[in-house]
Amino acid sequence: MQLYIKNHINLSFQNSAEITEFYRSLEVDYPKFFKMDGLSKLGFVASEVILAGDSRLRGNDSAGREDVAVIFFNRSSSLEIDTQYQATIQQNDNYFPSPALFVYTLPNVAAGEIAIRNKFLGETAFYITENFDPQQIFQTTQNTFKHNDLTFALVAWLENFGNIFEVKMFLVTKDVQDLGFTPENLLM
Amino acid sequence: MENLILKLKEEIIEVLNLEDVKPADIDENAPLFGEGLGLDSIDALELIVLMEKNYGIKLKDPAQGKEIFKSVRFLAEYIAENRTK
Repeated sequence: MQLYIKNHINLSFQNSAEITEFYRSLEVDYPKFFKMDGLSKLGFVASEVILAGDSRLRGNDSAGREDVAVIFFNRSSSLEIDTQYQATIQQNDNYFPSPALFVYTLPNVAAGEIAIRNKFLGETAFYITENFDPQQIFQTTQNTFKHNDLTFALVAWLENFGNIFEVKMFLVTKDVQDLGFTPENLLM
Repeated sequence: MENLILKLKEEIIEVLNLEDVKPADIDENAPLFGEGLGLDSIDALELIVLMEKNYGIKLKDPAQGKEIFKSVRFLAEYIAENRTK
């Protein structure tokens, strides 16, 4: 199946505060953003930029988009927030497990946040791989389109650990565009 | 009591990451849940942790939360009566 890249974005930040600053520049009103962990914040701002050009891509309250999938990849899973959560239960005499941190201790929550925000009801998946692997991203996305009746997929490498906040996000479609969805073009 | 109410508002803003909310924006007599601040069930759990961590109050019966979290003023009064630190 020939797929195409409709839109793409690369972003990197030094810390979570920089993402918040970027979020404010987008003038988006979504208070839940402030409760998200770094991984979800990163995915959220990238998705807001990539979807901003065409509101028809988003679902709404009366009709979600079953034909849109969210397919993410990274190396560190949710290890950053896992570590932060672990710190809240590390000491017996200071044992206060944080529910707000705990709810983000799965990487696929980042994909879910975007699906909820945009009423995307298609497949959401988060794959953990050793490194950014264009061939694997290409193949997995192809397979997802093959086994689901999709019009679009939001495909991303979404990595956060320590002071690394990097996202490469692609809006992939079956509709003919100038740019083909190929392993080579994922290196942009 | 008014000092405790202000302190609680500041703590709530901090632990619940209510970035764009100032203490003055929170009506101490208004319901904490269901309207206004738009808090959810995870926020309720976080407030229970806050009560234990900062004031030494452990809620034994989760149903108590419904009464205590009626408003910041209710919460402050409960803390004033039951705090161990």
